[in-house]
Amino acid sequence: MSIIIISSDIAETEAMIAGAIAEEKGYALLDRRVLHAAANRYGVKPERLNDALERRPSLLRRLPPRQWRYYLACIEAEVLDRLLADNIICRDVGAHLYVNGVSHAMKIRVLAGKQACREAAEREGGSLEKAEKQRSRINRRRTAWSMAAYQKDEADPAGYDLVVSLDQIDPVEAVRTIVGASAYRKFQSMTYSTKCLTDLALAAQVRAALLKSMSDMQVQARDGSVVVTTRALNRRKRETVEAIKQLAGQIPGVGYVEVHVRNHIFGKVG
Amino acid sequence: MAIITVSRGSYSMGKAVAEQTARRLGYRLISREVLLDASSRFNVPEIKLERAIHDAPGILDRYRHSRQSYVAYIRSALVERVVDDNVVYHGLAGHLLLKGLPHVLKVRINADMERRIAVVMERDGIPAEEARHRIEEDDRQRRKWTQTLYGQDPWDASLYDLTICIDHLSVENAVDFICQAAATEGFKTTEKNRQKVSDMAIACRVKAALVDEFPNVSVTCEYGNVLVYTGTGSDHGSGKLARKIDRVRETVEGVFHIEIHSGVAAPEEAV
Repeated sequence: MSIIIISSDIAETEAMIAGAIAEEKGYALLDRRVLHAAANRYGVKPERLNDALERRPSLLRRLPPRQWRYYLACIEAEVLDRLLADNIICRDVGAHLYVNGVSHAMKIRVLAGKQACREAAEREGGSLEKAEKQRSRINRRRTAWSMAAYQKDEADPAGYDLVVSLDQIDPVEAVRTIVGASAYRKFQSMTYSTKCLTDLALAAQVRAALLKSMSDMQVQARDGSVVVTTRALNRRKRETVEAIKQLAGQIPGVGYVEVHVRNHIFGKVG
Repeated sequence: MAIITVSRGSYSMGKAVAEQTARRLGYRLISREVLLDASSRFNVPEIKLERAIHDAPGILDRYRHSRQSYVAYIRSALVERVVDDNVVYHGLAGHLLLKGLPHVLKVRINADMERRIAVVMERDGIPAEEARHRIEEDDRQRRKWTQTLYGQDPWDASLYDLTICIDHLSVENAVDFICQAAATEGFKTTEKNRQKVSDMAIACRVKAALVDEFPNVSVTCEYGNVLVYTGTGSDHGSGKLARKIDRVRETVEGVFHIEIHSGVAAPEEAV
């Protein structure tokens, strides 16, 4: 009973490793196919959700920051909801960045190594140097995205339980190691870790519901009690609190809502 | 049959992981012995060698080359120690000093800052702020040292085969990972790999013999045939170097043939 979150510097490697682990363990695989379900649930286009996972906000691409945050919140809510089912391999939906404090969620980063660059160079008929430059460009873009979205560098090994480089280690061996590690007691779901995940999922649902019409929301949940922190002009404080309480109260599982409103200084100046 | 290097930040349980790995695999465990070897072989006080490999280079180090010499001595001593295989090394910079050897399993152990602070507080009985300052200063020195000498960040996971976060796992779990990886095909000692280590040992001996007078030379070795690359620097075309090479040919063990390559960029695997 565990969750394994796989991330890699190369999408193909990530898919291959995640697929192999899912097969080996007989677990379900959660990937971008979940975006269709999220799109249906929140009434948005799946392509927009896909865009939000790929790019940073850009007015040129008609993806304003507020909208981008809302799309990411929709994805988070759907993914966390699915992770509650347990026995899942998750990839390509940014879960390694927002599934925090859940001890039975094992986070693994797989580095494709130089061999992947060589294969890419052969496939595209270019030089190895060109393939390496291309990969480092993609990695820089991914880092910029993860920093903008979650203030974390997704390449930082501190965010993972284990980082495996495939330079010398065969992918089959890497899969064996990960499967072996997932059996450790530390990565088994316990009452407390399941509760942490339930709280995260509830907070994500509330946040997604609020970000549809509002911005700048921080949400925390604990045993059905939800704390929302936001900013508003002094004169709009009361109606903001009312609106948040009403929206959040409609989410199943929410028992009590507490709203903290800070003064919106720039709005006041404006 | 493998060579394992365990790199870690200070107070990150890396020593415990290295010790248990060596015990479980029945390998030799080396760390400070390398500095002692280098100290006695090259007649340099151990403290100077330790500073050279631990402290970040200062401004004056740009003008004197003692640090390069000391690192070359340490590297030579380390390679001599790993020639016989089945070794776990948990001293400083093992993954960089043994760079180029394919069957070296490079492991990094990371620990959360709060956990490291707790270890220092308990061990030295000092307040949290002082412990944090000590660890941050240590990390800063490591980062600067690696950046200056090798142009890399020691926290970069791509430098290692396995990066293990010890906070979420126990020492035993980390040892399990390492032992499993060490048994895989990529880290088995083949005849070709054994030859590579022997060649690297010879190249390191030659470099150590030259580095005092010619700090910018690079050396490669293949089956005892040594190439000394002078680049385009001041050593280029120097008769002094040729005379020194003649002496090296007679005194350094394992050299079959030695040549100087001037004005040619050294290959990546050169020491």
